[in-house]
Amino acid sequence: MRAIYLIARREYLSYAATWGFWLSLASMPLFMALGFGLPILIENSQPTRYYVLIDETGGSLETALEAQAEASQAEALERARETARELFGDLPQVNAALASQPQLSDERYLRVDVGVSELDALRPYLTGDATFTAADGEHRLFAAIYLRQNADGAIQIDYWSANVSDGGLRSQIRNALRAYMQTQFLIDSGVDPGLIETADELSPSVRELNPERTGDTAEVTDAERIPLVVSTMMAIGLWAVIFSVVNMLLTAMIEEKGNKVLEMMLASTRHHEILTGKLIGVAAVSATLLAVWGGIGLLGTLGLQQVAASSDMPIADILAAVLDPGLLLPAFGYFIIGYLMYGAVFLAIGSLCETLQDAQTLMSPMMLIMMVPIILIMMALNAPDNPIVAIASWVPLWTPFIMLARLPHDVGLIDIVGTTAAMIAFAVFVIWGSGVLFRMGSLNQANQDTVKGWFRIGRKKKPAAS
Amino acid sequence: MSETILELSNVSKTYSGKPAVRDVSFKVQRGQITGFLGPNGAGKTTSLRMSLGILTPDSGTVSLFGGKPRPAALDRVGFLPEERGIYRKMKVIDVITFFARLKGVGAAEARRRGLAMLEEFGLPDVADSKVKTLSKGMAQKVQIISTLVHEPEFIILDEPFSGLDPVNQNALEQIVRRQAEAGRTVLFSTHVMEHAERLCDQIVLVAKGRKVFDGSVKQALGEVPRRVTVEAASDHDLSQILVGKGEIARSELDGNVVWTIDLAAGVDAQDVLKACVDGGVKLARFEPVRAHLHDAFVHLVGSSATAETEAV
Repeated sequence: MRAIYLIARREYLSYAATWGFWLSLASMPLFMALGFGLPILIENSQPTRYYVLIDETGGSLETALEAQAEASQAEALERARETARELFGDLPQVNAALASQPQLSDERYLRVDVGVSELDALRPYLTGDATFTAADGEHRLFAAIYLRQNADGAIQIDYWSANVSDGGLRSQIRNALRAYMQTQFLIDSGVDPGLIETADELSPSVRELNPERTGDTAEVTDAERIPLVVSTMMAIGLWAVIFSVVNMLLTAMIEEKGNKVLEMMLASTRHHEILTGKLIGVAAVSATLLAVWGGIGLLGTLGLQQVAASSDMPIADILAAVLDPGLLLPAFGYFIIGYLMYGAVFLAIGSLCETLQDAQTLMSPMMLIMMVPIILIMMALNAPDNPIVAIASWVPLWTPFIMLARLPHDVGLIDIVGTTAAMIAFAVFVIWGSGVLFRMGSLNQANQDTVKGWFRIGRKKKPAAS
Repeated sequence: MSETILELSNVSKTYSGKPAVRDVSFKVQRGQITGFLGPNGAGKTTSLRMSLGILTPDSGTVSLFGGKPRPAALDRVGFLPEERGIYRKMKVIDVITFFARLKGVGAAEARRRGLAMLEEFGLPDVADSKVKTLSKGMAQKVQIISTLVHEPEFIILDEPFSGLDPVNQNALEQIVRRQAEAGRTVLFSTHVMEHAERLCDQIVLVAKGRKVFDGSVKQALGEVPRRVTVEAASDHDLSQILVGKGEIARSELDGNVVWTIDLAAGVDAQDVLKACVDGGVKLARFEPVRAHLHDAFVHLVGSSATAETEAV
């Protein structure tokens, strides 16, 4: 025990006593905030695109387009209000905040008049050789759109723009005109415009009900769907943590082998003590990371949940789903077993290699094995009872991730107990096997070629040159 | 009767069908410096690893302090492996303390001893330096300190002199002597005979996995035929004058005839000198050649190889 403690302690301190560790510990919340905030920041910082619209059909299309734009803005605002109501209840402050959001009034594309309408005159504005003055300064034109009617009555859009990647405006105009054309067709065919408007507004009201419940409680709410998303997020998080931690183990092992310290260690301790000490030491490193990040996250979520619950905000239920011990405890258990399985394998790989380059050969199959559950987790989100997902959850190396993602989907007890038992049995086997490999690798009695040789069983050897 | 610290009895080890150690037996007695000698690939490192339980013998037994080489016994051993290395990113004093603590020394005591030994080894200023900043010689000293800091009763050094410059080789010899004077038992492997000859009370010689000699340095030297070189300034035929004195070979050097006599059992250099004087030989040089362990090594290993070839 003394040796295991000392090895684990040394391993832990070799990471925890470095500036890099504390920097990464401190910077992770920053990066997470950036991860969440960056898309919004990018969206908000996108410059306003100015365009010129020339309606050569007599002005009816222009009016239709304006009406369509107004309807779209109203629709977007209503959708945002609905989401906000589901999360926070009907708060006037939230409505006011939503109304002030430029995205919701869709000001990304602004129509302007630069005083000319001929294409040759507009061309310098489109290429940037000329600019016009807007309220916020000098700008070039993003697009010039000509609406024309052909001889057969069909509407033609000529869309001129130097920017070929941003197709948002082009789609907007096309969709708006398509709706206009369809409506116009119906009117020309004698349908009453009021009738068309009524038809447009027709939409079924959908109630999702759970057959296991009756009466008012039968209706499925959005809050009930949250655990499914949370478990998937947790499974992906678990995968990311295990993947990064076992890579630490691999590098530490290769470094130790490169430093030729192992034989000196073996004169004081035994292989299994070194293996166990290293596993515990690096587990402690990840526990520190999880304790700090997870602790901050959990405390923050708990605080928000309390505030939301005291104000009767619906988001309180969603936050409570995140804090569900029924997910957190299995996640912890799966982390321990998953870490031990992959950690032992990666330590054994490390003991067989002298350099990281050596390790690449043996790592490739492991990486492929580790990538499979990520694909299956995403599949489990929508189809947890998919036979492939169900069968894959019995593969012990994938069990921690896939089962965690499947847990909120009413998985059978046999699946839970069976996969867990198989996973634990396999973990014991893997740790034992890795111990044997580690023992051979640490004294250079085996290397990556030995492992490759195992996969050549049954192949004929090349005849020796005589 | 002195206590046996380490005993290997009929120990064998094979790697992938290739025998590395074959039926080797020897003992290391308390308080002695024992040299474990042999050419490269003779099975020295494998034998030492089996002595510590790092490797398990295929057959035979190992007894360390009267029992199997268990962790409790290992706490009483200091081992310097042939492939040397320590944690490069750690501070010197932390490395020393870590290895001392692995052997059961308390943290404060380990640190105190480490600092004292750094002082003793002439490295008082590097305690808080990272190992990676040290020169190779300094790093090797730090590893030796890490081997000795827990004050082991039994010190095993695997090829300790390899990679050291002559000054550091001499310093290491002094360290080994000091440890022996302090009552510790030392077993070291080497293929450089000069160190063994200067240091050892007992030597064990192995070749191709087999033990070919086990005894004192004096006994080993006794295995080498004693030799006398005679350079004659006269035309006498010494092969006639020295009949029965040993094996005689003739060669020429700068116009003089040089005779080399490998003395027969019971004959000494004085007998040869007397026979030459009595025979009227005009001597330009008469030189009894002192045998070195190197000669014993070559002789014993050569004999072993010959015997093995004949046996086949």
